[in-house]
Amino acid sequence: MAEHKLLLKYTDDPKHKHVDGYVAHGGYTAWRKVLSSMTPDQVITEVKASGLRGRGGAGFPTGLKWSFVPKDSPKPRYLVCNADESEPGTCKDRVLLECDPHSVIEGMAIGAFAIGSHLAFNYIRGEFDFPIAVFEKAVEEAYAAGHLGKNIYGSGYDLDVVTQTGGGAYICGEETALLQSLAGNRGMSQMKPPFPAVEGLYGCPTIVNNVETLAVVPHLINNGGEWYTMFGTEKSKGTKLFSLSGHINRPGNYEVEMGTTLRYLIEELGGGIPDGRKIKAIIPGGASCPFMTPDQLDTPLDYESIAEAGSMLGSGACIVLDERTDIVWTTYKLIKFFKHESCGKCTPCREGTKWLTQLVERILNGEGEESDIDKIDNICHNILGRTICPLGDAAAMPVISAVQRFRQDFVDRIKAKNVLPMEQFPFN
Amino acid sequence: MSDTATKTQSETPAVELVTLTIDGRQVSVKKGATVLDACRQEGIAVPTFCWHPKLRSLGACRMCYVEIEKFPKLMVSCATEAMHDMVVLTDSEKCRAGRKATIEFILLDHPLDCPTCDKGGECDLQDNAFEYGLSDDTRFAFRKARNVRDKNSTFDDLTIGPEMVRNQNRCILCYKCVNANQEAFGEHDIGAYQRGHHTEIDAVPGGQVESLYSGNLVEICPVGALTSSDWRYKIRVWNTQTVPSLDPYHADGANLTLWKDVRKVHRATSRMNDDIDDGWISDIARYGYQVATSDRRLKTPMVNKNGVMVEVSWEEALTLIGRRFKEVKESQGAPCLAGVVSPNLDLKTLHCFNKLFRGALGSNNVDYRSDYSNLATDANSTYSYMASRSFSIANLASSDVIFVVGSNVIREHPNLHLKIRRAIFEKLGWLYTANPFVTKSGDCSTDEMIYQPGTDEVFLNGLTLSLIKQGLADKEVDTAKIETLLVPNTIEKCAEICGVSVERINECANRLAAAKSPTLIAGELVSTSSERENIAKAFYNVALLLGIPQNKRGQAAILAKAANSKGAEALGLSPELTEGQTSSLKNIFGALPELQGSNWDAILRGAVGEEIKAMFIMGANPVQIGVDHSHIKKSLESLDFLVVADLLETPTTALADVILPLSSFAEYDGSFTNLEGRTQDFTRGMKLVGSSLPGYEVLNLVAEKMGFNLYADQESLQDEITNLLNSYTAPERKLHLMESHYPSPAQAPENSFPLLVGDALHHYGHLTEMCHSLLAFDSEATLELSADLASRLEITSGDSVRISCGKGEKLILKALVSETLEGDTLLAAHNFAAKPANCLTSREKRVAYVQIEKIEKQ
Repeated sequence: MAEHKLLLKYTDDPKHKHVDGYVAHGGYTAWRKVLSSMTPDQVITEVKASGLRGRGGAGFPTGLKWSFVPKDSPKPRYLVCNADESEPGTCKDRVLLECDPHSVIEGMAIGAFAIGSHLAFNYIRGEFDFPIAVFEKAVEEAYAAGHLGKNIYGSGYDLDVVTQTGGGAYICGEETALLQSLAGNRGMSQMKPPFPAVEGLYGCPTIVNNVETLAVVPHLINNGGEWYTMFGTEKSKGTKLFSLSGHINRPGNYEVEMGTTLRYLIEELGGGIPDGRKIKAIIPGGASCPFMTPDQLDTPLDYESIAEAGSMLGSGACIVLDERTDIVWTTYKLIKFFKHESCGKCTPCREGTKWLTQLVERILNGEGEESDIDKIDNICHNILGRTICPLGDAAAMPVISAVQRFRQDFVDRIKAKNVLPMEQFPFN
Repeated sequence: MSDTATKTQSETPAVELVTLTIDGRQVSVKKGATVLDACRQEGIAVPTFCWHPKLRSLGACRMCYVEIEKFPKLMVSCATEAMHDMVVLTDSEKCRAGRKATIEFILLDHPLDCPTCDKGGECDLQDNAFEYGLSDDTRFAFRKARNVRDKNSTFDDLTIGPEMVRNQNRCILCYKCVNANQEAFGEHDIGAYQRGHHTEIDAVPGGQVESLYSGNLVEICPVGALTSSDWRYKIRVWNTQTVPSLDPYHADGANLTLWKDVRKVHRATSRMNDDIDDGWISDIARYGYQVATSDRRLKTPMVNKNGVMVEVSWEEALTLIGRRFKEVKESQGAPCLAGVVSPNLDLKTLHCFNKLFRGALGSNNVDYRSDYSNLATDANSTYSYMASRSFSIANLASSDVIFVVGSNVIREHPNLHLKIRRAIFEKLGWLYTANPFVTKSGDCSTDEMIYQPGTDEVFLNGLTLSLIKQGLADKEVDTAKIETLLVPNTIEKCAEICGVSVERINECANRLAAAKSPTLIAGELVSTSSERENIAKAFYNVALLLGIPQNKRGQAAILAKAANSKGAEALGLSPELTEGQTSSLKNIFGALPELQGSNWDAILRGAVGEEIKAMFIMGANPVQIGVDHSHIKKSLESLDFLVVADLLETPTTALADVILPLSSFAEYDGSFTNLEGRTQDFTRGMKLVGSSLPGYEVLNLVAEKMGFNLYADQESLQDEITNLLNSYTAPERKLHLMESHYPSPAQAPENSFPLLVGDALHHYGHLTEMCHSLLAFDSEATLELSADLASRLEITSGDSVRISCGKGEKLILKALVSETLEGDTLLAAHNFAAKPANCLTSREKRVAYVQIEKIEKQ
């Protein structure tokens, strides 16, 4: 298990983001194959066979999700690409949109075909100025080259792709909130069921997939679903993009086989910690994932092993924190982010994140009490599992892991009663 | 009668049940019901904030947690479907802990200003915190703060609507108001702004919360975040008692609760009746109780002495009335007496009115339709037939296609409007509306067809022809002669005249023909038209071709507008009686006068022509509301003697010789028959204002002066009414297509625009001018015009506009540029006595064409 470039193979080639360059590298063959010789069911079967799981964070099997779209519904169906990448530390979708937009378009096209959709949306994070420009240019080129539009390749199949930019809300990365936002409503998550596959955008069956997930799909069609199972572990197939950041010598996006160890990612690919310092904590999958400790470095990077280690693979944003890091301050930054991004719909998340922020802030100000630690833990448990969408869990989990795994840091900080100098509160 | 209305026509398919265990009890509920529904059905209390029985679950407040076996997390019962063999615990330790946590979160920033909060005593948060939030110690250490504007206090009142005050500090952000406003009312004037903890509930920027249903948002607010200006700080809720009442204005018959203390009524709220109102009431019904408490009420009888109205005793007034009526009867004959009564009065009053005139005075000249003109003279008219067809609001829920013609539903039937919305959204059904202007119902309609004013029957005939030409008509109806019955007789010609394209008419016809259970509704624009009979025939033809009068499917009716129109019709308050009515009334009154009575049209003509000498008008205000101000005024002025009984001084009382003070619906017990024929009771909420009396008592006193007695006691009176209602049968007829000719219209004068006169959005008839809360919404008469027309005439909202018609009448109104109106049609409200918009209408002309010009500011 080591680095394997499937999605990032051509991302360094500046020509690859144009339709000619993409086609020269074998692009759009899968889309042609699908339209000329496959039925929607066959496409879904291939994707199911590959064991591909959603790369947005939840890891739900993609083929299974597609098969949930009701076959007899008289309503139109929609495919939505979730490019609202805003999890702190995650920058993997951005590289695909910027350097390989056609693979995303091709993946969207195949996904749309599989569920019988003639209109696909790409909901891109509003701050992604450059990726939006590149993607829109790519859509334009794809239309001009006949890969999108009416009667594609003479097959009689029509498909339109529309780009929609987000308004800067983290919550709109959650699929129900995304669909609300896409429909022009306030971006707030909705109760499930009904699931979007049954009642999504404008009340019609809708599939929402992550950028990375869709970018994998053309490979599954070209090589067959079986082929994809060569990579990865028994339950976590294929390769995965990791966005390595924090106290690391070579931060960046890396693509590794599922099951590669955290140590390999950090030490071999990332070049270890600067100045030979020690690791204090690792957030393996983005801001919403619980902290891991250096003794867990040999954990394989797959959904199951990370879960066993008490964290989550999430979107693959691996943030490395070295020994100098103040965990209380890190916790404060995390919870403040979630407080800011809570949509405000359900009570525990809206009120809880605010209360947690106040408590951690109080500790940082040297006014904390030791009982605050248990209070923080208790409040987190009152949020955990009690909210409509995973944002509440995302806010609670890293804080729980911080006060449990680094309790001494909190105790020391409270006892010392020292006030953190304000200049250490960047972006306060 | 009420039985036929409640009977639903839909076939009831076998309901699939699921059985689950809640707190050890076996509960069976309909498939698709939520766990919360099951708990409520079983009488198990589950606390909620954001949930409302008539709205889709939001799942936002996280209060209704239950523990369900095999589910690792606590589940919100409002959004969890009940499944077979579920084992639910509603009061376990885990549940209580979850609810306590939610209460704790909510109270974090909720000010504990309960002693001075208007919601205190009826606050869900108080109740739920008391039940679930008790704790030995507090864990709060921070200053309470949400969006405090004034740093020195937690009071942060902001007026966000004419009748709405918001206090964001108290808001628990359950989004119930926003949800109801959008889902149930289709309004968007209240919304959530900012995000997360800083979320604020507010009116749209630059706007106000002023929809017709805004009062409901206050009522459903679980805390004191939204309060109504009307009720704030008047009285503590625990010092009030409640009595059941009814919407005294609209024919839907929405149910109300009146909140009163020993002195008076303080507010009205809804009283949920699933068949009629779903717990939503219009602001007119909500604030309409203020007619009872208004300063403008008449408190004593008055007599015109040498041109001056002088307050007198009841005795003096009654003696005068008795004497004058007797004189007229003896010198000129009973047919010289006429009575006009408002269909907004209760059944007892209506019946006594009939009894006074037909039984005691011996005149058949009674009518309740003083708002209308060109009335049919025959009880078997097609209009009467279509107006008395059975109609059930509950049946809307099973209607797959709803068709509305000539009705601005929201203004005529505010609750029916909501029921239509709900039916359309729940069943994903089809709604077709056809009106001469854009209406609110168009928001949720499949196709909103706008026809030229005054071409109602042409549009309907187009639909008839379309049904026949496409072979969609009921096969048993003889359609062979259709071309000789209708003028014009081709779809193309009809389309050209009415301005709705052939394709749209065809599509509507197709959808109606394919419907399993269509509902066809016609409204005030048909009733008030001078061509009402012609339109009714055209409407009847469409219904016939769809098999509705044959009772094959669906329902079709011309709907009455007033709270008791149906009651007035059933009690025989118009000169045209069916045979059944004639014999029932004979039974009760002993005998009926021989001479056929005059209807409202004939009464007015008779007054000018010296055939009618004395008149008694009760509750009605034809000078202000009727068609053609000058004609009515002239007629009433020609009378020798006019008695008017009303709640306040009106343009009609100004012409009276005697004015009698009438009590409002809040001051006595009575009943109304709603548009379905459902008879409901309302209860006295306060003592009689001044020396005013309920209508039936006034009538009995008048009768006594002439030596009659209208009723021995209330019970016998009630029995007579019940008998009449029960024996009433709607007119029958042979089922065949009717003639419907479009009279070639008079050429519209140049530079003139069609004007329709009706109710303002927040008013009904002439009484609501007494309600200060309703005046806060619409304070004066306006001329509504479309943005397009306004820009052509360079008129902006607020400009004074002079409106003139051919008769030389002029009226100056404030312009209101409407975003929803299209085309050249103008709308003017008749609810304000100072600006009688009906002076622009005419009994001869079908459509009033008026010229308008802007008055330059000095």
